[in-house]
Order: sequence, then structure tokens, then C-alpha cells
Amino acid sequence: MLKMTHLSKVYRTEVVETYALRDFSIHVKEGEFVAVTGPSGSGKTTFLTIAGLLEEFTGGQYQLDGADVHGLNDNQRSRLRNQKIGFIFQSFNLIPDLNVFDNVDVPLRYRRLPGAERRKRINEALERVGLLARSKHYPAELSGGQQQRVAIARALAGGPRLLLADEPTGNLDTQMARGVMQLLEELHRDGATIVMVTHDPELAARAQREVRIVDGQVIDLAAPTHLVENPATRPAV
Amino acid sequence: MLGYYLHLALRTLRRNVILTSLIIAAVGVGIGAYMTILTVLIAMSGDPIPDRSDTLFVPQIDVWGPNTRPKGGTGEIRLPPQFTYRDVTAFMQAHSAPHQAAMYPVALDVTPPKGIAFSQVGRATHRDFFSMFEVPFAAGAAWSVQDETDRADVVVLGKTLAGKLFPNSSAVGQTVSLGGRLYRITGVLEAWSPTPRFYDVVNGNAFSEVEDFFIPFTTAIGHQMQTNGNYNCAVLPSSGWAGRLSSECIWFGFWAELPNATAVRNYRQYLLNYSAEQRRLGRFHWPPLVQLSNVHQWLSLMHVIPDEVRVNSLLAFGFLTVCLVNAVGLMLARFSARASEFGVRRALGATRTDIFLQCLTETAVVGVLGGMLGLALTALGLAANRASLGYLAQYVGGLMRLDPAVMALTVALAVGATLCSGLYPTWRATRVQPALQLKAQ
Amino acid sequence: MEIVPILSALKRNKVGAILVTLQIALTLAVIANGMSIIQGHLAAMGRPSGIDEANIFTLQNHWVGEPENLRASIEEDLAALRGMPGVVDAEATNSYPLRGGGWGWGIRLKPDSSNGGAAGTTLYFNDAHGLDAMGLKLVAGRWFSSSEIEEMRIDDEKGVPSAVLTSALAKKLFPKSAALGQVIYMITDQPVHVIGVVDRAQTPWPAQGFGDEGAEYSTFLPLQFVANQMNYLVRTRPGQLAAVMRAVPDRLYAVTRQRVIDQLMPFSETRTRAYQIQKSESWLLGTVCGLLLAITGLGTVGLTMYWVAQRRRQIGMRRALGARRVDILRYFHTENLLIAGSGALLGVAGGLGANLWMATHMGTARMSWVYIGIGALIVLVLCQLAVLWPAYRAACVPPSLATRGL
Repeated sequence: MLKMTHLSKVYRTEVVETYALRDFSIHVKEGEFVAVTGPSGSGKTTFLTIAGLLEEFTGGQYQLDGADVHGLNDNQRSRLRNQKIGFIFQSFNLIPDLNVFDNVDVPLRYRRLPGAERRKRINEALERVGLLARSKHYPAELSGGQQQRVAIARALAGGPRLLLADEPTGNLDTQMARGVMQLLEELHRDGATIVMVTHDPELAARAQREVRIVDGQVIDLAAPTHLVENPATRPAV
Repeated sequence: MLGYYLHLALRTLRRNVILTSLIIAAVGVGIGAYMTILTVLIAMSGDPIPDRSDTLFVPQIDVWGPNTRPKGGTGEIRLPPQFTYRDVTAFMQAHSAPHQAAMYPVALDVTPPKGIAFSQVGRATHRDFFSMFEVPFAAGAAWSVQDETDRADVVVLGKTLAGKLFPNSSAVGQTVSLGGRLYRITGVLEAWSPTPRFYDVVNGNAFSEVEDFFIPFTTAIGHQMQTNGNYNCAVLPSSGWAGRLSSECIWFGFWAELPNATAVRNYRQYLLNYSAEQRRLGRFHWPPLVQLSNVHQWLSLMHVIPDEVRVNSLLAFGFLTVCLVNAVGLMLARFSARASEFGVRRALGATRTDIFLQCLTETAVVGVLGGMLGLALTALGLAANRASLGYLAQYVGGLMRLDPAVMALTVALAVGATLCSGLYPTWRATRVQPALQLKAQ
Repeated sequence: MEIVPILSALKRNKVGAILVTLQIALTLAVIANGMSIIQGHLAAMGRPSGIDEANIFTLQNHWVGEPENLRASIEEDLAALRGMPGVVDAEATNSYPLRGGGWGWGIRLKPDSSNGGAAGTTLYFNDAHGLDAMGLKLVAGRWFSSSEIEEMRIDDEKGVPSAVLTSALAKKLFPKSAALGQVIYMITDQPVHVIGVVDRAQTPWPAQGFGDEGAEYSTFLPLQFVANQMNYLVRTRPGQLAAVMRAVPDRLYAVTRQRVIDQLMPFSETRTRAYQIQKSESWLLGTVCGLLLAITGLGTVGLTMYWVAQRRRQIGMRRALGARRVDILRYFHTENLLIAGSGALLGVAGGLGANLWMATHMGTARMSWVYIGIGALIVLVLCQLAVLWPAYRAACVPPSLATRGL
């Protein structure tokens, strides 16, 4: 589903070159629930934005759902993003001027779907996250957990191939966080491919597999041999 | 998608009332002030006789010579705007144009059959006046060539005067007492109000109404009627009526119809030849200098649009600029505050064009609302302007009207101006980088 | 107060700051010029005409069918008017101050007409009653006596032996000496002796502005104007104007009905009409200036509110680091002063430039520094007032915002 090979992302200023990602490779198969962890500044957010086609990368290869995304222009990436990816952000990023229904509607509008089709999908998604009764409410009237669930409904409504979540429970208290994680696990059980970026090891444990990033490079804990190949990155275990 | 953008625009506007109101107010007030002034300017700049404005001409000759002109200045040579009696009679007799008419304003007392006498302003002219200027007749016609030769006491009445004197019958063929003499009425005009009253912008207000009666030029001269308009002399005339007629005082207007470029060229040559002959006869002591202006050129030369109106237009434009600059700043603020919304939309699949169109639609809606406010304020402004003009309102009040064309222009201008102001803020909105927006938590 | 950090913060909001600066500059340019123009109009409108305005009314009279003895008809009318109760005096003349139309001529100081005139003047034809009818004030010499008055018909080429000037005209023609007794030439080559000078009398044309010199270049000639169309000017006793005006038409119709009486109006109406356009212009200009200030003020409020909202975290951080409320207030007021100050500088240049252009191309009067100064002050004060509310809101941002993050 998501395949990055030797990906690199460089930020160049006048004086300094910073590698956000260096020789980064990851392969997420369809139906997997992968957690991407690492300390702050390790590049996990950069990975997510590149994976979500929000940013261009400097070198390497990226295949999304079998298609190479290299050389796509801005419009094409927007289209691809709209069709294939569902986003879930740490601070929900709902549009405050719109109610719940209209918020979930946004990605469907850019898909140019007819009205009846949109309404069906929105209602189904809201039903799935259990917030159909709150269609007309505004984000400011909902709790943090409810807002995140609306965001998840928004991510689902388009029927995406891949769900990208960035610290989905970062702004929630324990109880709400539990609810959201339960929802994600349900979605995974129903066949969704989820890549979740988090710094919380407890959360990471609930995923199928954990990929660790340090200084822009992958340390796959499931395959310890990588450790040996890169002695410089020996973790202090 | 347009429906979606409109839906979004209305949502957003309703939830950000204060900032939106400020923008609408800025646009509305600016447009209102500008259109208040522009309405008058448009009305004053209209073509009074579109069919013929480039075949009707006013000649000018250098009657008084260069010594009478102020030294220095902008280098623009201003020839006298009217003619002497000698010159207009010479022009009329020369027949160098297929249609021509000399004219001057006269004031006569009308003594109605019942009631007290009252004063009316009329015009003494030649019969070609009516055909040249396409003057519409409600009944009858202009006087005949024979009437002109005979200096007959005949008159063409305006609609209002005819209605006042003969409310229940046709005026044609009847008589009316003008200045103590009986005149036979040969025709009655339809309502006619060229704006401006281009055929005479030298005497009186260029935007006042058409005269109430017309009599033959020869008749007026025959009865020694003095002009009700300007009478300017460079040299003192001899005394008496004969002195006036033979003087170098200018008090006549003159128009000629010249149907094509050849006619214009020939007429100019005629004027030069005439001036040269006057020099030979010892009347002029300077080289010939002539000018020939069509309707537009004449109106421009005579500064028919007063300088005040021009200054006001500049002022109103400056004011509109400030209002729009204001709107740009406020729109920038509005869109900047929603940078994260645009970032989210981009993340969810909107292209730059989608964001652009969304913002543009919002801007257009603000423009329409601003236009409606501007329309209301223009109506208010015109009413206030009319009120402040006091007695002058009777002359230019007609110019200060909101007709459908002007209303459409107001709203179109508002939308256009708002869209232009919104271009930069909208462009800025599309440049939002979704990654940056979402990262900055 | 640290200017440098304020400047660098503004650089990040370059476009918005530039827009506000431009607005302020334009506003200043417009209101400075506006005030100057309005002041010119007000000064023109405030100029006294020199006649006893409160007690004078005028009318236009002409006979239907010219009477056999025009002069006698005029004298008959004048006798009737002067005999009315409440009337101080009356005259039949060609024109009077602020009427809108009149006679103009050039005065020469030497007999030959080849050199240009020394001044342009308007000509008022008056009889011996003229001084009292208009309520003029003599400051030198005398008025005409009845024996000196001659008749003047419309086409006559009349030389007169004497004339009375206004003091403004006298000073223009004879700047270094008294005008009384001097000789001037007009119309013919016959010398005209100046036998009197009156304090003030405006020409029929309304003054064009504050410095309009020619507004009072008037010459009175001992001529009884005789034409079918006459202007009658009547001066009444204080308080009697309305009553006499009401009675005049009947009194004149009693002499003969074969006449038309037009434009019967008190001098106050004449004055209103003379300056109608200037009054209208002043209102328009004043309204625009007022609206401009309102728009700029509101715009500044809106934009500053937005900047405050944008920088909430920054402000919270400053407070957390020890800034007091008053420091935040001072920050925003200083920032506003910087912007308004640059706008004012631009506006001074722009306003002076616009004034120069208008003076060259449209004959507008030059603007004195006072108006620029007052305009700049108004604009700066307005901006500071506009920023009061947003700055107060900024000062209310709690220091805890720095830690809270959202």
C-alpha cells in the first residue's frame, strides 16, 4: 500500500543543510496497522506529511497504492490525496465555521460527488463513529473526543485506501483517548490500513507493528539486524 | 461547486459579522461616494445628439486679433466664442454649408388673453435650426423660407408654453402676443431636452432647459431685439441699433452642418479666405486664424463640465481608493485568520484553484453586498447633493437621478472593485502550505 | 521603548503595515487640501458686500411694450418707491453687488488705449440717491450731486467727468498716494476725476476665494441707466423689509399694470444664490473628509485587532517574562505611532504635491502649512484613539497563555 524506498528529505538554507529524512525505507502492506514512533525531531511528522503527499521529497522513491508519486504536480497530488488518503490530526483541525455535517462533507465536495451520494456517505460515516445525532452541532459545542471522532468520520467518508493519523489522542484525556483508540482498532479489524504516528509507547503497543525513527532513519524493532548494520544508532537499551 | 462556494461564503460571513461588516462598509461607502459624483459626471458628459454630433460644427474666427488675448498662459489660443452681426450675415449669405443657422437668445413678454403678462426666454434663429438639431414637432412645422425673407411675425412654441396659452385647442395657426406684437404660430414642439443644451453653452447655464419660443432671426433683427445673452466688445461700438449691428461686438452663435470630411475641409478654407479678405479690406490687421469644432470638441473647448465637477471626481476617486485599500487590509486579515482552514482543505484534497475560487466567491458576495449598500448610499448622496444645491437644483437636478443603467453600473463597479482588492489576499490564501499549517501545533 | 523589535515585527506583516500607512497618507493629503479649500470658500462667503444687506431688497422690472418716455417712467417708479412708508431710499440701476451679472471694463491711467489697463473693474451706474440706497460708507471725498447725473442708454458711448471708487480699487490704482483728485481713463479718452472713495463694495461676481483681490474693484459713475429692463434696489428702515417687499408689487402696478416684475427677493437670497456652489462644494468636501477619517479609523481598529489576535502567544510570553500591562499598551501605541508617523510623512508630501498640481491645473489656492500641520495632528490622534481598544485587549492577554500553548 505505502512503499517508500531510500527516501530523503533535505531542508536547505543559505548556510546549513538539514536532513529531516535520510535513506528512509518503509513498506506498509494493505490491512496493516503500523505505529511510527520516535523522539521529538526525529522526522516522524515529516514522514507523515510526505506520506500524505503534503510535501515533496528530495530523493528516493514513494509508491502509494501501487502508483509512483514522483513527478506529480500539485493538482495531481491533491486529487490523489483526496481519493486515497484519510487524515486524522492531533488537534482535530475541524473548520470552526462549519457544523459537523459540513465538516465531514469537505473532502467529498472536492471529489465532485453528487448530493445524494455525499449525504449517504456522511451519514454512514457519522453513524460509524456514533455521532449522527450531532450533525448540526458546531465543533465548539463538542468535547475533544467527539471532535476527534468527527475528524475520523471525515477521514472515512471518502472511502480512503490509507488512514494517516498524527498523534490522534495527543489532545485528549485518558478516557476519550481510550474511546478513540478503540475506534481505530475497530476500523483496522474491518480491513482499514492505518499508519499512526505517536510518541506514546503504550499507544504504539496497540498497533500491529512498530517502526521506530531516529534522526531521520528507520530502526525497525521487528528486525534487530538493522541495528547491527548501523552501529552509530545503537539504542541505549 | 459554485453552489458550494456560495454556501460556504454565506456561512463564513455570518459567523464573522464584525470584520465582514467593516469590509462591506468600506466598499459601500467608497462606491456610494464615487457613484454620487460619477452620476453627475456621466450625465454631463453624455452625447446630446448622437446621430449628428460629428456633422454639426461651430466655426470661430479671430475677430479681435491677438492683442486682445492675454499674454503668456498655457499657450492655448482661445478665439472669441460668438460672432458679430456682420460676420454671421456674411456666412449665411455665402451658403458654404448645406445647412446653417445663426442664433441669439431673446427675452419677450408674453401677454396671454387673460391674466398678467409674464416674461419668457426664446431664441431667434434660422429655420435650418430645426432640421439640423432634429427638433421634434408635436404639431405644425417651422416657418417657411418666405417668412424669413419677409421678416414675418411668426413663432414656433415650446410644448409647455403652448399648453399654458392654449390648454384646450391646437396652437398652430393661432396668434400670441409677444413683446406687444402678434405672432402667428406655425408649429409646436414636442418635449425636447438635449443634455447639455449644446447649441448654446455660452449664454447662461449649459444644462438649463430649452427655450420656450423660437422666432426667425431676421424678424428679431428687424424689430431691433437686443440679446438676452452675453454681449462683448473689444472696441466701443457707435451708438444706437445701427451702431450695434456694424460694431465689432460679438453676440451671435452660429452652427453649420458639414456632412463629411471634404465639406469640413472646404468650410475651413472658406473661413480662412473670408478672414484673409477682411484683412485685405482693412478690417482685420492680423493673419487669419480659424477654428472649426464639432459637438464634442465644442463642449470640451467651452469647459461645459465645470472644473468643480472634475475636481470632485478626482476627490471621489481618491476616496474610493482609500476605501479599497482599507478593504484589502481587512480582507488580508480575514483570510490570514483562516490559514489553518485552507491548510486543512488542501490536505483533504483541495487544489490551489479550489481555494482560489472559494475565496473569490466570498469576495464577490462581499462585493454584491457592498454594491447594494453603495446603491443606497448613492441615492442618499444624490438627494443630499440636490438639497445642498438650493436654487441651482432646478438646472442640474435632472442629472442627479439613478436610472437603471447607473444602478447596474454601481453594483458592477462594487463587485469589480472588491474583486480587484481581493486578488492579493486571495492569492495569498492559495499559497498556504498545508504541511506548515498542520505542523505548527 | 525598543523601536527595533517593533520594526522587525512589522516587517513580518509588511503588506498590512504598508496598506495602513498608505491609507493614512491618502487621508492626510485629502483632509489637508479639503480644509484649505473649505476655508477659502468660507472666507469668500464671509466677505461683506459693503451695502446695508439686512435692509435691502431688489427686483427686476420691465415694461410690456416700451413706454414713450422711458426716463420719465423710471423716475415715476422711483418716486413711488421712495414715497412708500418704511423706505429709506431707492435707485434704478444696471447692477449691484453679488447680482451675478454686470458690466465690466478696464481702467487706464493714461489716455491712450494702446497700453493695457491698470485694473479691471465693474461699473455701477447710480444717481445722487445711490449712496443712501445702497448704504455705502464714504471714506474720502463726496458722492455725486443731482446736477451731475447724466442719462445713459444701452448703446451710448458716454464719457463722464467724475467717478467714485472703492478703497480696494483706489489702492490698486494709486498704491502710494491718495486716489482723491486723481485722473483715470475708461471708455473714452476723456479724463475722469476721482471725487470720492467708499469703504467697500463688491462686484456683481461672487468672490472666488480668500485672496481674491478683484472682488472689490468697483467704480460708481454718475449716470442714470435708462433701459426697458431695470434693476430696482430698495433700502428700508430696520425691521420693515418684509412689509415693504409685500407692498411693492401693488404700489408699482398702481403706477401702471403694463409691466412684468421678476426676481423680487431680499438681499439675503441674492447672497445665498451667489455662493450656492461654494456652499455645496464645502458640504461635499466636508462630508468626504469626515467619512474618510471614519473609514481610516475603523480600518485601523480592525487591522490592529487582527494583529493582536495573531500575536496572542507572543504577548502572553512577554507578560510571562515580566512585562507589565502598561508595557504591552505602550508597545502597541508605539507601533501605531511608527506606522501613523510614516503615513503622516508620506501624506505631507502627497498633500503638498496634490495641492501644487491643483494650483497649476485648476487654479486652486495654495495651501498654507497650517492645514498640513492640523491635518497631521488629526490623523495621528485618530490613529492613537483607534488603537486604544485593541491595545487594551492585548494588555488583557494573561501570561499563562505562554504555557498553555493553544
